Parts: sequence; structure tokens; C-alpha cells
Amino acid sequence: MTYEIEMIGIRKEFPGVVANDNIDFAVRKGEIHALVGENGAGKSTLMNVLFGLYQPDAGTIKIRGEEVKFNNNLDSIAKGIGMVHQSFKLVPSFTVAENITLGHEPSKLGFVDKDAVRENVIKISKRFGLKVDPDSRIRDMPVGIQQRVEILKALYLLSDILILDEPTGVLTPQETDELFEVVRSLVATGITVIFITHKFREVMAISDRVTVLRDGKWIGTKDTKDTNPKELARMMVGREVLLRIDKTEANPKEQVLTVENLKVLDNRLQEAVRDVSLSVKAGEILGIAGVEGNGQRELVEGIIGLRTAVAGDIRINGKSITKMSVRQRRDYGISCVPEDRYVRGVALRASLEDNLIIENYDKAPISKGQVLNLKKIAQHASRLISEFDIRTPSSKVIASTLSGGNLQKVVLAREIDARPKLLIVAQPTRGLDVGSIEFVHRRILEARDRGAAVLLVSAELEEVMSLSDRIAVLYEGNIVGTVKGGEATEEELGLMMAGITDEGEDQRDSHSVEQQVSQEV
Amino acid sequence: MDTSVLVDILQRYVFNVANLQGMLRLSTPVILAGLCALITARAGILNIAGEGMILFGAWFAVAGSYYTQNSYVGLAVAILSGLVVGGLFALFSLKFGANIIVMGIAINIFAVSATIFMTRIVFGVAGSFMHPNIQGFSPIHIPLIKDIPILGGILSGYTFPVYLTWLLVLLTTIFLYRTPWGIHLRAVGESPEAARTQGINVERVRFLSVMASGVFASLAGSYLSLGHMVGFFDQMSAGRGFIGMAVNTFGGGEPVGVFLSSLLFGLTDTIGFRLQGERIIPIYFISMLPYFVTLIALTYFTIRKAQVAKAVFKKKAAQAEAER
Repeated sequence: MTYEIEMIGIRKEFPGVVANDNIDFAVRKGEIHALVGENGAGKSTLMNVLFGLYQPDAGTIKIRGEEVKFNNNLDSIAKGIGMVHQSFKLVPSFTVAENITLGHEPSKLGFVDKDAVRENVIKISKRFGLKVDPDSRIRDMPVGIQQRVEILKALYLLSDILILDEPTGVLTPQETDELFEVVRSLVATGITVIFITHKFREVMAISDRVTVLRDGKWIGTKDTKDTNPKELARMMVGREVLLRIDKTEANPKEQVLTVENLKVLDNRLQEAVRDVSLSVKAGEILGIAGVEGNGQRELVEGIIGLRTAVAGDIRINGKSITKMSVRQRRDYGISCVPEDRYVRGVALRASLEDNLIIENYDKAPISKGQVLNLKKIAQHASRLISEFDIRTPSSKVIASTLSGGNLQKVVLAREIDARPKLLIVAQPTRGLDVGSIEFVHRRILEARDRGAAVLLVSAELEEVMSLSDRIAVLYEGNIVGTVKGGEATEEELGLMMAGITDEGEDQRDSHSVEQQVSQEV
Repeated sequence: MDTSVLVDILQRYVFNVANLQGMLRLSTPVILAGLCALITARAGILNIAGEGMILFGAWFAVAGSYYTQNSYVGLAVAILSGLVVGGLFALFSLKFGANIIVMGIAINIFAVSATIFMTRIVFGVAGSFMHPNIQGFSPIHIPLIKDIPILGGILSGYTFPVYLTWLLVLLTTIFLYRTPWGIHLRAVGESPEAARTQGINVERVRFLSVMASGVFASLAGSYLSLGHMVGFFDQMSAGRGFIGMAVNTFGGGEPVGVFLSSLLFGLTDTIGFRLQGERIIPIYFISMLPYFVTLIALTYFTIRKAQVAKAVFKKKAAQAEAER
């Protein structure tokens, strides 16, 4: 039997790293083939080789039995390969239709035929049942729709091999199910799908076969029905891992964070947080669930002071911090692990030592008067490096040389070591591998047990459910419901994330929040 | 000073048809320099070599016109030089990976000494080169339009490059928004990864955009040496390459925006010329004026823009407050 795609003995080296080491990878026509592995296992490199963005140092690629050599992705597109990247490759100021047809615009006499652009996009969107507004600009679109545009982009180029790179990170469970439906219907029309993911639930739910990579090597390919998440995790990490963290009962104490009727605007000056009231007690984790783009970022930035609260009040231990600067708030006991570690979490060009003292560089013993104590800084760094198991050759290397998981440990180390009253963690495990996720989760729980109030914002429902003592669901800038951590079901939360609430329950929940708030006042 | 004197001064030096003509004439090289900056900026390249490329354009226009006694041949030679200089600039910075800022500075410095050197070797004179053989552009009077009172005076009677420039503002706009190439250029500038994954050759688009910027710069240069003046003078680009970058930023990267912000420079430049004739203000101060006023105005308007955005924000916030 000839395979649709056959990659044999693929090797790809980057300076200092072998990203792909003699990998064999074969996909049958019309199957959904999951490709799993930790970050840095070589999944993306392998797919970029298949997509023609990288040229392999060794090995051959066969498409439908025919040996091919891709010099760039035009060659692979011509062979019917389409890729939906994890970080979207869209032009923000262009419309949906312009993005889908980019590079392949229908034109008349050298001018772009704008009507044809629109019509083609409407046609393809109807055919595959992926609804989009062709005239909206990408920068005004929520991420979920942006992903839809990405898929349409690939379909527009008549791809019959579709590579989906971690496509579900930004979707609600219902949207994920919808995506699965779309993928299945695509497969029914003869399209072959490679599904890159690190969520075992998805592997089990959608794939026919699964291939595991680790450290740039091929570990195994299995029929999905013959394997299970535990086995996959072991293959991926190379040791036993806890898939769901053991957690002791919370022991909530005094109320730390009180947010009352908070309203925050986003960059487009729209109300991103409309009217949010919530509270977090010392020693508990409040999880904020919700599809990305429903006000999570603005809520976090509002609390830590990066955005002005248009209305409402934020209090820590009863004292209003609404008018305080970011620095004052931090000094008052707020720490934050921001959602984008590369932009706000670390200074990429600064050393680890410097990154670890951003919080306390102006305080003894790190500095005395205006002079930094270099010896103390080095000690501080090496203590945190060993406490948080940061894998680095030295404390002097610049942050950008570290992997994503290690960088996140740097951020966590700095923020947790400040011993905050309130610890905010936003998307703490985005892009991290199973091993690092376990570590990060344990540290968050430790901070809670030490008595910090923890506000966890995450698009990963599983994460919110396994860590939180209480879960609040954010939808279009409002909290549409609050449930106990242990009692929530994925379906129930998923419906709330989509803004569907049972009227009576919704009332009760918002009342209970208001009551809580009014008690403290 | 009573008001009538002031009105008289304003009429003589600022608001009259001759000044409007001067404004449109003198803004021409700035518009072209602005388009030079625009076409690379929209492709995601910070190109500071406009100044040097203008100077080369000016020199080759003079050379072409001198040997053939035809200003249009001079223009063609200048365009050719723009393609060559732009191409070399792109080759070194984009293909061979030289730092584009360092490369740009190198071209700017090289252009100054190279043109002086070439003037000496080729024409055997030092400094400036004027000669009756050098044909400048002659004014074109557009039939019908030239007979319209006042407006005819403002719209007609310019040299070929002036009209060409107006046309180029229009064509660049059409190019950017209506042609596949223009769309690709904007995609490359805004999100090169998106363009690349759609099979657009990012490097080629950038290469061509730098060459196009060379053409715009050489047009600016030929206007300076065959329209504005006739002959070549040391460093006659006089900072217009950099002013071009400023008007592009201020014009929001839009050709029409570049056109309008360039008019400001053209106007102050014109007023400067009028005042020079009067010898009431030191001449060095007057020479500085167009640059000074342009930069101050651009800074002011940029700050103002931010303030307006802030005011809108405050208004929205107040509205939100009122709704509660």
C-alpha cells in the first residue's frame, strides 16, 4: 500500500541542536493522524520540512508514492499540502477575504478583482460550513474566527493534506467539537489531516493513528484504539507522569482580593471587562474560565494596573488599590505571571540574574542605597535556579537562550519568591510540555497552600478544572456564573463559556457573588 | 507695527498665487523623497539611503542632459542610476546581509564624495557644475486649464516632473490597494510570515521595493538638478531624503498623506526664498526655516494626534461612567 505521505530518515540540524534525528513518519490517505510530543520534540520542525519551509539535511519525502523535493512552500502547496500554524499567519489590517486569497488573488487586467475575492471566499466558506464575514478586518476578529480563516486559507489553495498545528488551544469545548466535526467532514471528502496536539483527550477523540516524537526522535506510531493517554504520556516524556495533579482541599482564610463592578476598556476602547465583581480568599484558587478574548487579558491588566479601571473598585485586604501605580500595587503584595512570557514575563536580552531581580532590585539585600550587590544577586539567582529546577548552563546567560518551559520557571520563581498576598497567573502553561505543566501546577498549588490568594486565568479548561477551588466563567466581559471547582462538569462550563446560561442559575450565581461582596463592604 | 503693515507682509510673503505655485514646485522633490521612503516602509524596510540616492539621481540627470542636450534623456539616465544604486543597496543589505542602517549611512556618505569626485573627473570642475549644454525641463502650459483665472496659474505652467509626481501619487495609491503586487507588498511589510506561508517571495518583494525607492529618489534628484536649478551642486539634496522619511511617517504611510505633508515643506521653503530676496533676516536662518518648521509642525501634529486619541478615550470612559 502506498502512503499519502511518507517521510523516511528525516534529519534536520540547527546550530547546536539536532531537531529531527532519523525520523520516519507515514500517513495514510484519508486518515486523521495525530502527531504528539513535548515542546522541542521536533514536531514543528518535521512539519516545516513537510511544508517546505525547511530543507532536510538528510532523508526523503514521498507524496502519494512519488519522491519530491520541496525548495519552498510553493512546491508543497502545489502538491496539495496546507498548514494551519499555531501562531496565526494573518495580516491584521487586511480583511478576512484578503487574507484568505493573499498570494493568489483573482485579478483582471493586472488589478485585483475585489468582487471575485469576496465571492470565492463566500463560496468556500459555504462549501465547508465555516462561517466568516469576508469584509471584517482580522485585527477586529476574535482568535476563534482567526483560526477559521487560517483553515479556509489552506482549503482555498485546494489542499488535500491539511496540517493543523495545535488548533484547539483557543477554542471552547463546543467549538472544539465543531472543529472536530469539520475535520471529520473534511476527511470524509478524502482530505488527509495531520493533527499536532499535546492534549491526549483530543488524540483519543479524533485521531485514527498517532505518532509520538521525543527529543527529535521517532518513538512510535500506534493505532489510537490500541493505546491510552497514560501510555502516550509515558512515550512522550520517557517516564511516568501525573496527568491530573493531586490536590488537597483548600483552606480559605480572609478575603484578599475584592473586585467590584470593574469596567476596563481594550485597545480599541471597547468595553472588554463590562461589570465584573469577584473575590479571592487567602489559600484558595479562583479560576477564570472562558474563551480567549472575552476580557481575560483586560481583567488581569486592570487588576495589576497596566490598564485604567474606567469604573469600579479593586481592593486588597480591604484597601483600595484602584488608583495605585503598577509599582505600588506590586509593593502592596500583588504578583503576576503574565500571559505572554516573552513580552511581559522576561526581558529576553537580559541575563537570568537580572530577570530574577526585576521584582526586588531596589530592596535590600539585593541593593544597598543605589548600588547593586552583585554577589547577592548571583546567590539569589542560583538559589531560585535550584529551587525551581531551571535548566540553564549558568545564571549569566541571557534569557532568550532558554526554552519556553524554563523561561516560565524563571517568571514563576521571581513572582512566587516575592511571597505575594495575591498571585495572578495568566495562561501559565501555554505552550509548555507535559513535564513542565506538572511542575508549574505544583508550584501554583504550593503558593496557595502557603496562604496566597491565587487568581488563575486560563483558556485550558482542563487546567482550570484541575487547579481551581472555585471557577468563574467570563463571557463577553461579564462573569456569567461561578461554580465550585470539584462540582463543575466540562459540558456545564463549556455552555457558560459560549454564553449560554440557565436563567435561574445565572441569577443565583450573580447574587451569591454580590452577597459575598456586600458582606465584605 | 500696525496691522496694515502686517497684512501687507503676509500678502507679499505668504498668501499669493506665486507662493502657491512655489509651494507645489518646491514640494515636488519632497513628495518624491516621501514616496521613496513610503515604498520601502510599506514593505517593512527602514531605508535611510534616500538622501544619497537623490544626490546620485541629480548628478546623473545633469550628466545625461549635458551630453545629449535633452532633459528627458537626463531623466532616463537618472532613473537608470536609481535602479542601479537601489539594486546595489538591496544586494548588499538584503542579499548579503549587511546591516541596512549602516549600509544606508554608507550610501549617503559615499554619494557626497562620489558626486564631487565624478564632477571633477568627468566635467573637470570643482564644486558645482553649470553649463549651457545642460537642458533643464521647460514649463508645460496645459491648454484650457491655463486660461482659467487664478486656478490656471496654480495648476498650469509646471515642468514635466511636477505633473509626473502628481500622477505617481495617484498611481502608488492604486498600486498599493488595487494590484496583487501592491497587496503583496503591504502583506510583506505588515506580516512577512503570513506572506511567506502564502507562497509570496518576501525577499524578492523587498528587493524590488528598494529598487523602486531608488527610482523615486532619482526622480527627486533629477527635479533638483534639471527643474529646481539647472546644474549640479555639492550636496544639493540638502536633507530632502530625511525630510521624505518624516513626511512619510506623518502622512501615515499613504501616498496622499505624503503629498499633503510635503506641501507644508514646500510652502515654508517658498516663503524662505521670498525672504532671502529681502535681506531682512540672516540668510542662514532662512535656509534653516523649511526644515525647522517642517519638523516642528510634524512633531506638533503627531503629539496632537495622540492627544485626540486620548480625548476620545476619556470621552468614552465618561460615557461608560454616565451609563452606570
